[in-house]
Amino acid sequence: MVGLSLGEKHFIQGGIAQDLRSDARKRLTYRPIYVETGVIPQANGSAAVKMGATEVIASVKAELGKPTSLHPDKGKVAIFVDCSPTAAPAFEGRGGEELSAELSTSLQQCLLGGKSGAGAGIDLSSLSVVEGKICWDLYIDCLVVSTDGNLLDALGAAIKAALSNTGIPRVQVAAGATGDEQPEVDISDEEFLQFDTSGVPVIITLTQVGKHYIVDATAEEESQMSSAISVSVNRHGRICGMTKRGGAGLDPSVILDMISVAKFVSEQLIIKLDSEISAAEAREEE
Amino acid sequence: MSGKGGSAPHPTTYSPSPQNQKRPKSLIFKDNVDWVRPDGRGFQHCRPAFLRTGAVNAASGSAYAEFGNTKVIVSVFGPRESKKAQMYSDIGRLNCNVSYTTFATPVRGQGADHKEFSSVLHKALEGAIILESFPKTTVDVFALVLESGGSDLPVVISCASLALADAGIRMYDLVTSVSVSCLGKNLVIDPIFEEENCQDGSLIIACMPSRNEVTQLTITGEWSTPKIHEAMQLCLDACAKLGMVMRSCLKETASSQE
Repeated sequence: MVGLSLGEKHFIQGGIAQDLRSDARKRLTYRPIYVETGVIPQANGSAAVKMGATEVIASVKAELGKPTSLHPDKGKVAIFVDCSPTAAPAFEGRGGEELSAELSTSLQQCLLGGKSGAGAGIDLSSLSVVEGKICWDLYIDCLVVSTDGNLLDALGAAIKAALSNTGIPRVQVAAGATGDEQPEVDISDEEFLQFDTSGVPVIITLTQVGKHYIVDATAEEESQMSSAISVSVNRHGRICGMTKRGGAGLDPSVILDMISVAKFVSEQLIIKLDSEISAAEAREEE
Repeated sequence: MSGKGGSAPHPTTYSPSPQNQKRPKSLIFKDNVDWVRPDGRGFQHCRPAFLRTGAVNAASGSAYAEFGNTKVIVSVFGPRESKKAQMYSDIGRLNCNVSYTTFATPVRGQGADHKEFSSVLHKALEGAIILESFPKTTVDVFALVLESGGSDLPVVISCASLALADAGIRMYDLVTSVSVSCLGKNLVIDPIFEEENCQDGSLIIACMPSRNEVTQLTITGEWSTPKIHEAMQLCLDACAKLGMVMRSCLKETASSQE
């Protein structure tokens, strides 16, 4: 995807080894993050996140649906990622589809927890309206507008921002429905409930280049990676999910080391992201 | 295929035994430390593995794996010339595909929502194969899950590396894979379908046991660092043992051909 000369490759690798990257960052420094909320008026919540030249949009739409028989007291969340060929020619056709599928799977693993619903970053029981009958289905759709590496972290941040921007309409359930009847509901278009996002984790991708690992790799740096792991960490420092990319094998002790580094980085990222989100929401209200 | 019912009076016919039809509804008590797993195993006991190479004649290499009720067949084709449309590549390509039969799952056709397995299989294997040894060509790895009985992906990965070895594709090491489910406070290794359905979290490791390298790692659910450490140790241990079983299976095939 990125054509680099041998000299450029050595420059990137050498810079990372000396803790001074091409854009003057240190290994564990993120690019400045810029968040804008409420970018899509038709959605219940939305946000755009820029990290350097990487830009993604996430929108949250809520629809009333029926809970599954396995989890009658929980709502459902689906995450989709679309990599538009307008972002990069490589996204056209199958290339984009594959990347989209991979990103959506990673996001689901990082945000939605185990099969029983435990440990989910998004609180699914808050989406229940009438147990076993009606629940909210959240459709989280993400669009990659332009790409310069580190898509997963940006998408994770965008989803977190979009969810905190999400207002779910208050639902009045008409009394009197009994038994198997589907109760009638009245959706308020004035009253909205703020979605609780305190448990939504952030995703930190550590990209290994040579012997070292870096956060927030640009596309050029990603082309030099041997492997990368993405760890999602919540506010309490608990790991909520993890995936690995890249073919090269890693020593188990290195992985554990990477997890602890990711935990350390996550603290700063959560603080940074929270302040950016609240700043964005303050701007929107003005 | 595992040679069941060989002593039946009519070996040409087969009728399903009635006790296979009813599935005992077993409860899983998450907070209880003493519950017995539905199939009577201990928490840290893997299912017995049955492995055979050479299941498909037409393929360059193939393997069949049976871990409890999980039955998987993997065939490897190639290395063969890459498609004309693909760009020149001085290292070989690996093409992986995982599919489910329509009857693999209790509800017909439910296996279709496992599209991501193909890319996970690719990522788990590519680090182990010496792709430089077959430039300009492609190796196809096709996995078919005949019956889904839990821990499908780890079984597919292990079986695929066995099939690659059978095909004579050069590898740094065999790839073995094991998963662990987190149920309440307990970690159970090699979970079955019922356990996977109510797990709080899962950890899947694919590794090269003799090189002590992890090629793929996926975690879902909420974990603390010590718990990850514990689960990884458990998996790596089991991976090393599975590697020995796979090696002896390959040796057996090789010695029987002589």
